[in-house]
Amino acid sequence: MPENTTTPNNAPARSLRIGVAGPVGTGKSSLIATVCRALASELRLGVITNDIYTDEDARFLRSAGVLEPERIRAVETGACPHTAIRDDITVNLLAVEDLERDFDPLDVVLIESGGDNLTATFSPALVDAQIFVLDVAGGGDVARKGGPGIARADLLVVNKTDLAPYVGVDVATMVADAETAREGRQVLALSRSDAASVETLAAWVRGLLVQHRAGTHTPQDPGPMAPHFHADEEGGPGVMHTHDDTEHAHEGQPAHSHP
Amino acid sequence: MTINTTAVSSATIAMMLADARLPVGGHVHSAGLEPALAGGMSPGQVPAYMLGRARTVTLVEAGTAVVARHVALQAEGQGDHRVVLPPGRLALELATIDGAWAARTPSRAVREVSRSLARGYQRLAGRLWATHPAVVACSRAGSGAFGQTPSRPVILGVIAAAAGLDAESLVRLVVYDDAQTIAAAMLKLEPLDPAVPPGWVLAACGVAEEFVADLARLTSPHAIPAWGAPESEGWAEAHSRTTQRLFRA
Repeated sequence: MPENTTTPNNAPARSLRIGVAGPVGTGKSSLIATVCRALASELRLGVITNDIYTDEDARFLRSAGVLEPERIRAVETGACPHTAIRDDITVNLLAVEDLERDFDPLDVVLIESGGDNLTATFSPALVDAQIFVLDVAGGGDVARKGGPGIARADLLVVNKTDLAPYVGVDVATMVADAETAREGRQVLALSRSDAASVETLAAWVRGLLVQHRAGTHTPQDPGPMAPHFHADEEGGPGVMHTHDDTEHAHEGQPAHSHP
Repeated sequence: MTINTTAVSSATIAMMLADARLPVGGHVHSAGLEPALAGGMSPGQVPAYMLGRARTVTLVEAGTAVVARHVALQAEGQGDHRVVLPPGRLALELATIDGAWAARTPSRAVREVSRSLARGYQRLAGRLWATHPAVVACSRAGSGAFGQTPSRPVILGVIAAAAGLDAESLVRLVVYDDAQTIAAAMLKLEPLDPAVPPGWVLAACGVAEEFVADLARLTSPHAIPAWGAPESEGWAEAHSRTTQRLFRA
């Protein structure tokens, strides 16, 4: 697994970097605004947006007035938002490092992916943790479909629960489906008008920051791949695995090959 | 970790550096195409735009990269005279080359974009050739003699020296990369049969070929060509102030 890197010279304190991914219109920008509103008084925050046309999301967030406008920056993705957070993270890494340098020290930088499809996930070389956002209006069955972000992001948010009665979705069922797809990983039913759910989200960020500072948090990769089988080198039975296994290393000699 | 690339051929280095999949952030650039189309150039003029760059600003880039390579080679005594440039002198000479490039690149927007792209290459060089004195000099840019992040052609020349890319291949790389960047961006910006632009790329590389040998022999910043594309620079300036961009430039 690639490690996060920071600028070698005069590196400012490295913030906790949290990615926010999920399909178009599920409320990624709104979730970031909610986090900022809940935490801006206690934590030093920054935001990077990746959008189709550079700064739509950045302008939304600036106009939300939840953070100083200078702390919200947009990067271009060359119409490849998927690439910019996964296989060529250069522009995002540079933007995060610049933000950390200009507003040193920052506690948390939130990186919003450009609304892409269900398969887009962040590289663990760019973010320490990632939130995948679905919403009830997208349909109650989306969580069941699975995919790397839904199944293995650090936190799955089922957003806009206040709209559930209007779109005929049972929130409890959607959350239960998501919990099944995630094999017990955390699912949060969120509405920005539901204070308790917002506090749960804020508490999740705080808890992650404590772990990050203590050095006990290791970035996990949801991976682009479905869980797959690795034959045992010793001729043993082999193992099913997903890319969140901490012992799984691609650096140096690979312990396995992907078919 | 510094990779020993002495066993890798110059051709392989050229292929790797020309590959759009190289993670240096190149996919957010269009070599001025998005600014040009937004500025009113018709899509039908794109092949001419590509040829025009290949005979003007791209050759400035290529010449700069060649001279930077020449100086960077001396950092390890691999230059023509087997002298080893001390680190302070090396940084000064690279800064002088960077200044020569900047003087030939009047648009501030174009210069800033080049320096931001260079940071992606620097990140890669810091992984692959971290101990090469010229890579070190570039990583310290921003302090001391080297006032700011180097431009893309300077870091590219430094990488060429560190990785073992020959001068003629370096020129061809710069020409190819500029044309291919336009070709790839074109498919994002305008409807087109994807099999068409590769022909334009080869045509652009063809018209630059007559300059390759002379450019590859450059050793002095004063000799870097000073051809320009003023309209393109104007478009780049305007683009840098817009908000609805797909590409950085």
